Amino acid sequence: MNPLGAETRLFLRSGRNIAALLLLLVLSATAVWAGIAEVANQRAAIERVAQEQARDLAAVEDANAGPQGDAGYVAYYAFMLTQDPPPPLAFAAIGQRDLQPYLLRVRALGLEAQLYDSEAYNPELALPGVFDWAFVLIYLLPLVVIALGHDLVTGERETGRLRLLLSLPGDGLWRRRAVLRYAAVLAALVIPLLVGGAIMAAPAGGIAVLILTAVLYCAFWFGLTLLAGAAMRTSATAATAMVGCWIMLTLVLPTLGNAAIARAVPVAKGIDLTLAQREVVHRGWDIPKEQTFERFFVSHPEWRGREEFEGRFHWKWYYAMHQVGDEAVAEDAAEYRASLERREDLTRALGFVLPSVGSMNVVHRIADTDIEGQLAYRDSIAAFHARLRAFYYPYLFADRPFTRADFAMIPRYSVRTAQGSLGVWPLAILALAALLMIGLGARRVSRLGGEGSARTG
Amino acid sequence: MIAHETPPAIRIADLHHSYGAKPILKGLTLTVRHGEIYALLGGNGAGKSTTLNALLGFIAPASGTVRVCGTDPVAQPRQARAQMAYVPENVSLYDHLSARENIGYFLALAKADRGADAIDEALREVGLPADAWDKRLSGYSKGMRQKVAIALALARDVPVLLLDEPTSGLDPRAVLEFNRLLDTARARKVAVLMVTHDLVSAVDIADRIGFLADGRIEEEREALATGARFDLNALHDRYARAGVSA
Repeated sequence: MNPLGAETRLFLRSGRNIAALLLLLVLSATAVWAGIAEVANQRAAIERVAQEQARDLAAVEDANAGPQGDAGYVAYYAFMLTQDPPPPLAFAAIGQRDLQPYLLRVRALGLEAQLYDSEAYNPELALPGVFDWAFVLIYLLPLVVIALGHDLVTGERETGRLRLLLSLPGDGLWRRRAVLRYAAVLAALVIPLLVGGAIMAAPAGGIAVLILTAVLYCAFWFGLTLLAGAAMRTSATAATAMVGCWIMLTLVLPTLGNAAIARAVPVAKGIDLTLAQREVVHRGWDIPKEQTFERFFVSHPEWRGREEFEGRFHWKWYYAMHQVGDEAVAEDAAEYRASLERREDLTRALGFVLPSVGSMNVVHRIADTDIEGQLAYRDSIAAFHARLRAFYYPYLFADRPFTRADFAMIPRYSVRTAQGSLGVWPLAILALAALLMIGLGARRVSRLGGEGSARTG
Repeated sequence: MIAHETPPAIRIADLHHSYGAKPILKGLTLTVRHGEIYALLGGNGAGKSTTLNALLGFIAPASGTVRVCGTDPVAQPRQARAQMAYVPENVSLYDHLSARENIGYFLALAKADRGADAIDEALREVGLPADAWDKRLSGYSKGMRQKVAIALALARDVPVLLLDEPTSGLDPRAVLEFNRLLDTARARKVAVLMVTHDLVSAVDIADRIGFLADGRIEEEREALATGARFDLNALHDRYARAGVSA
């Protein structure tokens, strides 16, 4: 039997090894299944709402269509559906999608008052995060690596086999053992991902990036475990040191980093923008209409001279109030967005230092389920909302009737294309960290030749 | 014409080694020939384990020469280790594997693929009951484990056997069986270096006995050709003088 075959047999005969691998396989499979279920739920919700939306719009059409239909009523009652369907890799890395809205119905009123009008979620339930494949990769994989690798050397020393093993003429024992464990752990982690990817018809390139991230992140933890396992005298101290590393690298330091980022870059709440916009709109009722129109004409000079109307109320004045309301908070909205982007930038920078954060950033970026993906969805809503306004304003300011035929021309939201991207630098940094740890671990293990001389005299 | 002699199985000449500032070996010289059983006796700290470490290439001696079948264990560890089998004091193999599987595994590590028949033959030779061959080692006694380790050494079919306190913890019957195994090894022209505290066991089986004290061989005695192999009483006195209890 060749050494690798013998090593594989030895590895597979250990109940502990099999139990750890099976546990990881079950966790990974459960996480992929949970991710697929969540994606199916989101798709079902979108489908359900889309059907309701069609019924709703038909009702608005029936109520308001006519030869002299008023566009103001239509624009007021006709909510238009925007949606952000789960990207192909969302099943593996749900990211922000369990917290941020993926459905929003908007109308031609003020955008800022609608943009953050999503369902409130229970913050205590949101705290632990979602159980998806990315969670298993970042938080649970290292624990399995520690379980399988912490006593790679110390276990042999404690049982007294180390001198016998070192006295044999063959070489590459530790390399074979580490590579075998590494491959087994990766297989247990990745096989469910591949099955999930096939079920979800996910793009091969995206799956490859997820696997590459797992390969590097797993290598980092194996290197670290090898280093600690060879440097420590007993399995207990090696395990304690590694669990300490896990707590620091995956829990404490990322939490402290996020707290520091939150402190360094305060971000206003979206609801504050909603309230500020509404305040401007509400004040509009109490100030002379001319003031509202003058502010409106700054951005829409093409409608100057069409502001006159009879009576106390006209929809064009009402929509101008909303437009002005949005413009009044535009600076705050831009600042809000810039703060989110700044936080995202800092989180990426944190990923250069912490492999756990770096890996998380890579998988969520390629899956397009991070803040950047959310902002892209908001941008697409804003662009769609601008199209809605541009569609209705000629009816309102030119006093054109809104007929049944016009309903078909109301702009419909086009689903944005998922824009997951490859984080080359985070992956490169992760690769460097993995290589460094593997190098240090291998170097420490290569010194074990002298370990046989632990007995003196 | 130059005559090429086969190098001795083990040759150590003027070996010095220290751990930190503490000198352990101070000019150790010994030779073990093929087919010879050499018992190295010495008290705690005399340098027995350091001698084994030097032979196994675990340490690089400060000065002196170490050769195993003519090979330097430090400069060519793989080649040197291919010539010798080491049986540690406390034999610890993989408890979740059987005797056959353990030997197969260690042979694979040593890149010495001898086949199942060779493994069975070695197990038979060491006298391990056949019904135990496929049982996990977790149920084995210390003597049985040692037999598996010796069987591994025999299966490797190497010219040099290094034994670290081989009779420690064995009952008298097991010691007798062990001595029989060493006889077998001697018959195969295997050189055996056994490091031990056990004077009686050494007297029973060794061809030569070396007294290691203060880092060097203070005295060597050879088995007598006729009659009692060694004068146990004289050896005991010698051992006691060296400050070691037999």
